[in-house]
Amino acid sequence: MVMSVREDSEERLITLLKAQDDQAFHEAVSTYTPGMLAVARFYLDPSTAEEVVQDCWVTVVDAIQKFEGRSGLKTWLHRIVANRCKNKLRAGKREVATDFSEVLEPELAKRFNSARRWDVPPKLRFHESADTLMENGALSDCLDKHLSALPETQRSALMLYEAHQHQSEDVCNILDVSASNLRVLLHRARQKIFLMVETFQETGEC
Amino acid sequence: MLMCRDLAEIASDYIDGELSARQNLPVKMHLTMCQDCRTFIGNLRASTRLMQAHSSGHPDEELLRRIDARISEALKTRRTRDNDGE
Repeated sequence: MVMSVREDSEERLITLLKAQDDQAFHEAVSTYTPGMLAVARFYLDPSTAEEVVQDCWVTVVDAIQKFEGRSGLKTWLHRIVANRCKNKLRAGKREVATDFSEVLEPELAKRFNSARRWDVPPKLRFHESADTLMENGALSDCLDKHLSALPETQRSALMLYEAHQHQSEDVCNILDVSASNLRVLLHRARQKIFLMVETFQETGEC
Repeated sequence: MLMCRDLAEIASDYIDGELSARQNLPVKMHLTMCQDCRTFIGNLRASTRLMQAHSSGHPDEELLRRIDARISEALKTRRTRDNDGE
């Protein structure tokens, strides 16, 4: 069987992790911690999420010996975090409250008239490529600000799907949401980013 | 008939290829006629690519250092345990 470079390097990393190689753990921590935090923040406040991720890594030192590779390493780590968060929530008898009833962001919804046509259409077309747009430091800072202001459920769904490139099915399993609810989370988060970029391009304000 | 607001509601599904061929057809027809919706879809796609290009989500260095330190400790304990078991 021919393995891709990515699979090959993941296989190498797993072998080194099983051999308890310090450098391999260091590499894995910097590669996978952002995604693990995105999962944890779906369920918990930022500081508890950090604690859970730290605890999970300590668990991984032993658990990696039993990792059989039925899923990718990233998905396996994200599931460990999700399970631990769910246990913590059950222990605290707290539940994740999310509103899936509205598909459109209120700011966008009010731009349509009663005939369901645009009343206030999109004002500008984003001509530049994403990379060119990101070279604008102020826009990048603005995106940071808006991402951290997103409800954690939307932010985590967006991060796992876009930034960490999970398949929809994986994200649903990790976050324990239905496929239709994931679609709502993603769509609402994207609308907010769209509105933010539009305002920024039009006014220069964040 | 699919209206602009209907399209805005399912825009992410369209971008991600989650619509069936039957659902896709009215969207494509609407887009051929509506410049505003074409702009909206184009901008939403650009926002999505922007998210992918954005490196946000990196934890601070201090957290990574704390995790590395706890892992070193856990690895030491495990090695001692393994050696004792031999």
